[in-house]
Amino acid sequence: MANQNLNRRKFLRVTAIGGGAAALAACAAPAAAPAPAAPAAPAAPAATEAPKPTEAPAAATEAPKPTEAPAAAAPAMDMPFPMDDAAKNPLGIGADPIDGVFFSGGFGHAYIEYAGKLVEAAHPGVKAGVKPIQKVKEELQPRLVEGNPPDVIDNSGAGEFNTTDLVNDGQLMDLTELMEAASWDTPGVKFKDTLFPGSQAGRVYDGKQMGVNIAYTVSAMWYSKPWLETNKITIPDTWEGFLGLCETIKKDGKQAPWTYQGKYPYYMWGIVLNQLMYKAAGNAAIVSIDNLEPNAWKNADVLRAVQDMHQLWDKGYILEGTAGLTHTESQAEWLKGKAAFIPCGTWLENEMKEQTPKDFAMTATGIPGYKDGKGDISAIAAGGGETFVVFAKGKNPKGGMEFLRAQLSRSSAKWFAENVSSIMPVKGVTDLKASAGVTSAIAIVEKAGTNIIEFKLPDWYSSFGKELEQRTGELLTGKMKPEEFVDALQKKADEIAKDPDIKKFTRTA
Amino acid sequence: MQHGKNRFVVSFLAVPVLLYTVFVLVPYLGAMAISLTRWSGTSTLDKIQFRGLNNFIKIWSDEQFWNALKHNGIILLTQPIIIIGLGLLFAALFTQNLRGAKFFRIVFFFPQVMSVIIVAVLWSFIFHPLMGLVNGALNFIFSIFGSSWPKFPWLGDTGTVLGACIAVAIWQAVGFYMVLFVSGMQGIPDEYYEAAKIDGANSAKQFFSITIPLLWETIRTAIVFLAIGGMDMYAYVTGLTNGSGGPSRAADVLSTFMYEQAFGGGNNSNPFGYGTAIGVVLLILILGLSILSQRLTQREVLEY
Repeated sequence: MANQNLNRRKFLRVTAIGGGAAALAACAAPAAAPAPAAPAAPAAPAATEAPKPTEAPAAATEAPKPTEAPAAAAPAMDMPFPMDDAAKNPLGIGADPIDGVFFSGGFGHAYIEYAGKLVEAAHPGVKAGVKPIQKVKEELQPRLVEGNPPDVIDNSGAGEFNTTDLVNDGQLMDLTELMEAASWDTPGVKFKDTLFPGSQAGRVYDGKQMGVNIAYTVSAMWYSKPWLETNKITIPDTWEGFLGLCETIKKDGKQAPWTYQGKYPYYMWGIVLNQLMYKAAGNAAIVSIDNLEPNAWKNADVLRAVQDMHQLWDKGYILEGTAGLTHTESQAEWLKGKAAFIPCGTWLENEMKEQTPKDFAMTATGIPGYKDGKGDISAIAAGGGETFVVFAKGKNPKGGMEFLRAQLSRSSAKWFAENVSSIMPVKGVTDLKASAGVTSAIAIVEKAGTNIIEFKLPDWYSSFGKELEQRTGELLTGKMKPEEFVDALQKKADEIAKDPDIKKFTRTA
Repeated sequence: MQHGKNRFVVSFLAVPVLLYTVFVLVPYLGAMAISLTRWSGTSTLDKIQFRGLNNFIKIWSDEQFWNALKHNGIILLTQPIIIIGLGLLFAALFTQNLRGAKFFRIVFFFPQVMSVIIVAVLWSFIFHPLMGLVNGALNFIFSIFGSSWPKFPWLGDTGTVLGACIAVAIWQAVGFYMVLFVSGMQGIPDEYYEAAKIDGANSAKQFFSITIPLLWETIRTAIVFLAIGGMDMYAYVTGLTNGSGGPSRAADVLSTFMYEQAFGGGNNSNPFGYGTAIGVVLLILILGLSILSQRLTQREVLEY
């Protein structure tokens, strides 16, 4: 702004940009700043689907850092891991360019450009296009209708396609060939065997792999480690005990025990309610809910879980004003110590990177359960998110699959861990130092073993998710009683079950 | 000569008419066709199924539709009256040669030049429950009387979220209508006021008997603009809430409802067909409303 003649128009433009930048600063943290963090592969978790990782809600969130220069962040390639001859071109791609369009949100898109560079290094002459966008559906819808889709996309963010709809419309490529191909840089191992077990199960439709999840997230509640230590607190493993701890914190008067992402109550059903339901009522109860069985929501143990979550409001444990905060605003209040606990996925660390005090050491712990519950007390909701898909009618679907093979390589996973502080579901990523947050998240998953919590209903039927979202908000602001809550959801589930135009899904376990 | 003039006119009109046809009329007709179908909006066109008036029948019995329409109704009943009232008040004040009038005219007009989304972001800070200006000011006032004001979530409470959206829209629009009325008032000859003064009319009498009648055409225009604006409100509601009409859809309006059905995943059954049908209903409502507001406000035009 060296310009002296700042006329009115320009001035307005500058203020407008300033306002916008403030909004941006409030949300996604930049993805490019290096911060060592990464996991060794956690102990084989079973199939699951965590609440969408980067899909932080609302228009404000999908804003990427516009000024970020990813070219600088993703350096020219020399293969950091060895590449077998057999792994050079198992899919047999030609010299055609690859048309890639990707959501750029909390993770940025530099990590995708890194994969593009890997592809270009392995296939001289092939151009791997990386076009970052925010509103995936709005922008790509015309191309799909026209029958001219891109080859590969990152279908994530607030404006994503419902993957199920794309499958039903026959738009997506069956990725079996990719799953069976040699992996990029784990010599002698097939692509599918380099991925965390179960991390891709959420994208299997009628036995076919229709997309791959490139991020692995753990849904937990978070606190500051030094805070825990100075106050000599141990977190009880039962919900009853946890409410007791909340009472102590409340009586202490220094901070509220709990806050959540107020305007977006889905953090509360996707991280707290689903896990309480599993722990109180057991997996079978959630399976029957997912299968839209009559009166599945009226299960007494499900009601117990709803009542227990409602206690947070009823006993006044939720930070005053929470309902009016956005996700990043509530997370910022939590970082300021206004509240002791907040539910979130493992993206929290990267999302709040710029606002986190130096010695905060955010740490994850599982949602407390029940000694007499029907589900395992240390179970956890964890799994793959940030789904990439290949279009069947694209010009170069094989190229699209090749891109995914590079994206989920060890090199790419290491780059992702080191530069975006997040986890790709890729085994054998070594030589990394993990942050307190990532370490604790991995510990939870290891403790849970095969007891991974799934709740598919809102994912299969997004209209159910909308209803659940509204009702959860009402439950947590005292506008609705737990009994009314389960009645309302049962009504919505029945409505979906009755609608012949909605394709139904079921699961057995 | 006459022929040459026609060609001249046609050559000027051809381009806009063509653009209007391609980008407005054709999409409208396309939307009307799609509103009679079941379509996901993401498949190729061969998968569209014809469903007749099914979507419109569903809309009729859709609670969410009536909820959104009710909110549009509330907006229509409050917003134009307050905006026109305040606009006239400020216009009257700022044409009185008061000191600083010019300055305030600019200040009041300023919100109008900002984009709605920027305004929404600014106001969501003002409504912030913990550090916002509104709660801060109220708490200050209450503290004078030895009491305190809670950290109230204005945008997170079903009772206040719609009012908050309306307030922001009013804040932004008043300046524009003020300027509109100022320019109208400046066109009224001074002699009328002088004559009225001689006859002993006070300021209020002058305002209601001279200013309002002579400004009526401008006010009518304002009413139509505001009625159409009140049926929209999309950017305000989306910017100030979580995008799904706020808590319990307490600020949901037809435009946000339509978006949620067509794009936002609120409908698994028939997202695009149903969403488009809502759009067609919205079109009919706005057309009807414009005609109605024109008819109801029709009076004999006073020439001066």
